[in-house]
Amino acid sequence: MHDSSKRRDFLGLTALWSTVIAMGTALAGVMRLPKPAVQPGPLRVFKLGDPGQFAVGSVTRIEAGNFFLFREEQGFHAVSSVCTHLGCIVAHNEGEGFACPCHGSRFSTDGSVVGGPAPAALPWLEIALSPDGQLQVNAESPVPKGTRFRV
Amino acid sequence: MSGDPSRPFKWITAVCSVVTIGFLAAAAVRENISADWRGYQVGFRGILEAKAKGDAARATARNLPIEIRQIVVPALHTVDRCVSCHLGIDDPRMTDQPNPHRTHPRKLLAIHRVEKFGCTVCHQGQGAALNFQEAKAEEYFWDYPLLPAKYTEATCGSCHDPRALPAGSADKLVLGMKLFEQKGCNGCHKLNGKGGPLGPALDNEGLKTKHELVRASLKGSQTNWNWFAEHFLDPSGIVAGSLMPMPALSQPQVETLTVFMLSLRQRDLPAEYLAPDKIDEQYARLHPPAPDGATLYHRYCAACHDTGLHTRWDKKFARFVPGIRNAAFVRTEDDECLAENIREGRPGTRMPGWGSKAGGLSGAEVAALVAYLRTSAPAMALPAAPPRGDAARGAALFAQECAGCHGMDGKGLIAPALANPVFQQAATDAFLAQTIRAGRENTPMPAFGRAGFSESQIGDLLAYIRKWQPPVRNAALPGRHAIQEGRVTP
Amino acid sequence: MTPIQEFLENLKHTPRHLRESAMRTGRVPQTDRERSQSTFHNLFLHLQSVRTDRRSLRFAYTFGLGLILTASFVVLTITGILLMVYYKPGVELAYNSVKDIHFVVPAGRFIRNIHRWSAHLMVLAVFLHMARVFYTGSYKRPREFNWLIGLVLLVLTLGLSFTGYLLPWDQLAYWAVTIGANIANSPREVTDAIGITAWFDPGRFQKQLLLGANYVGQESLIRFYVLHVALLPLAITAVMGLHFWRVRKDGGLSRDESSPAPPARIGSRDVEVFAPTKTYGLMAVVRGRTPVVGKAPEGSVSSWPNLLWAEIAALMFTVAVTLALSYFWDAPLKEMANPAIPENPAKAPWYFLGLQELVSYSAFMGGVGIPSVVLLGLGLIPYLDRDPRGVGIWFGGPAGRRTFWQSAVYGLVSVLALLALTVNLGWLRTWFPTIPQIAIIILNPATVIVALYAAWSLWVLKRTSSIRMSAIALFTCFLAGFIVLTAMGSIFRGPNWHFYWWPSQWPVH
Repeated sequence: MHDSSKRRDFLGLTALWSTVIAMGTALAGVMRLPKPAVQPGPLRVFKLGDPGQFAVGSVTRIEAGNFFLFREEQGFHAVSSVCTHLGCIVAHNEGEGFACPCHGSRFSTDGSVVGGPAPAALPWLEIALSPDGQLQVNAESPVPKGTRFRV
Repeated sequence: MSGDPSRPFKWITAVCSVVTIGFLAAAAVRENISADWRGYQVGFRGILEAKAKGDAARATARNLPIEIRQIVVPALHTVDRCVSCHLGIDDPRMTDQPNPHRTHPRKLLAIHRVEKFGCTVCHQGQGAALNFQEAKAEEYFWDYPLLPAKYTEATCGSCHDPRALPAGSADKLVLGMKLFEQKGCNGCHKLNGKGGPLGPALDNEGLKTKHELVRASLKGSQTNWNWFAEHFLDPSGIVAGSLMPMPALSQPQVETLTVFMLSLRQRDLPAEYLAPDKIDEQYARLHPPAPDGATLYHRYCAACHDTGLHTRWDKKFARFVPGIRNAAFVRTEDDECLAENIREGRPGTRMPGWGSKAGGLSGAEVAALVAYLRTSAPAMALPAAPPRGDAARGAALFAQECAGCHGMDGKGLIAPALANPVFQQAATDAFLAQTIRAGRENTPMPAFGRAGFSESQIGDLLAYIRKWQPPVRNAALPGRHAIQEGRVTP
Repeated sequence: MTPIQEFLENLKHTPRHLRESAMRTGRVPQTDRERSQSTFHNLFLHLQSVRTDRRSLRFAYTFGLGLILTASFVVLTITGILLMVYYKPGVELAYNSVKDIHFVVPAGRFIRNIHRWSAHLMVLAVFLHMARVFYTGSYKRPREFNWLIGLVLLVLTLGLSFTGYLLPWDQLAYWAVTIGANIANSPREVTDAIGITAWFDPGRFQKQLLLGANYVGQESLIRFYVLHVALLPLAITAVMGLHFWRVRKDGGLSRDESSPAPPARIGSRDVEVFAPTKTYGLMAVVRGRTPVVGKAPEGSVSSWPNLLWAEIAALMFTVAVTLALSYFWDAPLKEMANPAIPENPAKAPWYFLGLQELVSYSAFMGGVGIPSVVLLGLGLIPYLDRDPRGVGIWFGGPAGRRTFWQSAVYGLVSVLALLALTVNLGWLRTWFPTIPQIAIIILNPATVIVALYAAWSLWVLKRTSSIRMSAIALFTCFLAGFIVLTAMGSIFRGPNWHFYWWPSQWPVH
């Protein structure tokens, strides 16, 4: 049997919807918690010392920062060694480029993808001279491919 | 009975839900909109835009992200979020801006890069905080509140030898160090193992928290620098029963001494943070240069003995303090005796031992002090003492002439305690006889020889005085012929 | 329709079909039968009975305390899990992780405050709920066992609160737990006094079990953490489920069966009584007084939506109060734990301060003796008071109300007098410095007050010839004593546990 009363229960609707909105707002607020407001740990800027210690034509692997430092006649550039597929660390083969041991991605010497599942090129990293004259690479700051840093 | 049975519940639900939404919104606003640091970053962004030269720079300035910024220094175990408000701290263009945007003064960040040092290693405070009140952390549950600007030099000493710094770097600290030596604070306070035992050792004074200080009579803020400042102005007012005399200090002197106190820290900083001059300082402490007797005297002796040329009455000790640089005294003691007195002190009196096991002075330093005392007068060859006479006659003489100053039982009043066991062992008959005979100039001790005492009378007095000699020679107490520093003398 | 058309028709109607498939009745309940079914057929809701007695919904009867407790627990669980994302249970990391939650974690400050205040609210509510259940005689047959389950929940709640107290690793936490652990060690007082410690040392055993060492350190922190986030929540959830299930099986919330229930009406008509078309079968075997379908459930209303509204109202009320408190007051956090600098005074959490006051007289009596006696006494109540009358009536009637007020006065006066005596004149050790400790264990303010309360309760028993009256007398005395001792420990005890009228008089050290 149905209830004869057909009047809308405004109070009930208000109560219900205000509860839903309150709980929804709380949920939304609470969902913000897991995303860190600030990255823990020190900034990933690496000081490499006197630029003069790197010979022209040299390739230096900087393990701590996961990048390779190249010095050529045009200047310095740093290429990230973190594979853009799923994050393994690539190896550098002299003259051939980079190769990732995990799924076989291959990159040319300037970081472009030449084979394997990697979706994007290896990023080039920003190089600057620190106030105390050291070569400084910012592993969190990518620059366009081809950017050289002249000392 | 009519009505919907859940009606009251619906009302409660509606009202409480609205209240809930209100507080959720208020909390969200408080965190995401009206937080102090956001306002400051927006202001800074405006300044950057105004100062930008060229469209590209202006565009970059406009895109400055408003986010929490922090400096993490794992080597120092610090996370400093000061830069969330002080964004311009290492930007040289911001010298004309008001705080918190202003550049760090004195170009200090050029040599103390922010990424390597953070902020709290020098400034203290609660680096993790995101608002000024909690960063300052005064009257807060935090052990090390932000150091006021005038005391910031205190932390320079953690990595530097302040005396090796260029002039204008840590002048207050250097002045404080000098004042500490001049005022002879080491006479009662040990520092680096050297000093007197009457007051507490000061080695980690700068890292004391407010819980470790007596604050019952503290008037100002509950901070340790305020405690130092008030303590210097009125020591026994702050620490009840303190024997510390009120040092005569001007307000700027109080400040420099407070800076020095705050700088006394035993910190465990990684080696790469210590400046070379600090390491030199630590080396020098282990291999000290040749000591200067006059400096040593000021540092360790002057607080009680003053110039040492006269006897003085000390109000706090309610005892007289001998004039150890008195020529008449120094003349009658040889170097070995002086050195022993310094090394072993006078147990039973306020004079502490200063040897390496007690006050921490090395053999070379004791020798330097003796040399300094010796400048008052060369040692004289003492004439032989008369043979000991009749003690009963000596007693009568003593009661008549000596007891007034030396006390009836030889316990000392305004003159040394002749019954002191150390005195009895250190002093020879010749020394006693000469003192009685010739007196001590510049002290109340008259020259009884000149006043008419015969040698036999002196002998009687000697017999009486020696009655106070301890019956068994206490091996622990020094004697003139005791084993000294590894040498055995007959 | 071609297959492609049929495919597209189905795709078009998917939202409506999704909705209808979720709700097995297909729509929001509109008849009594549908309301019954929505409760009975729902995974979560079928814990409730299909119909609820109107008297169970009266605010002035239960004050919604059970619901407030459940709501608090839900809030605590959710906020607790959120805090676990950032809290790090290592002695080097814990304090800073809590500071980071306060300063930088998005919504961290608010969530941490909510967690702290709802914990306090839950402990307060658990005491009030116990008092309500007691005073309405809701422990009598068939609800005796549920009373015992409730006591287990009381202990679990206090355990959860206490284990959580250590986690921030600040001075407050560290010293409070040091005291708590020493209370666990208090059997030493007895074993030392009778000289058997070398062979039988339950005190040390308890303390080591709690702390994982002889002092509060990393081992203790990790044990408390495991207890607080895993073991105790699991235990309390299981026991809560049992508690609700027993409420159901014992016939729902207690009510006064002596007078007939008022008929339920909606608008101007009585609530319809529907005639079933099938029997319930075994699913509905309940004892006693659950509204049984087929009988006229006078005085009852459909659980959907009325009971649900009551529950939602309790939830939102709890949430609103908690959020208000959390917005204005931050959860306390003192300096980082420093074993070298004891807090003075070092105080246990507020619900243990009454115990701490008693512990200051005798460690064993205050820490083990009295709490055991109290728990035992509470547990025995339903088995000693077997009179089935007076259930569902506050205090059982006007006589009970009188007993309550008299006992409250007696309880207050006697505990205040005893405190005044000890504060001003001291106790046995002050008057007889060499008296053996065993004498103090037996005769101390804690045991004296228990004796005084027991004497009063026995006198009430003789006077009224009613076990329930004497139970009300004893319970009320203890309630008064608990409140006064808690107030004493929190407000009037300062450094070195000396008596001060106000914290402003505490000497700054």
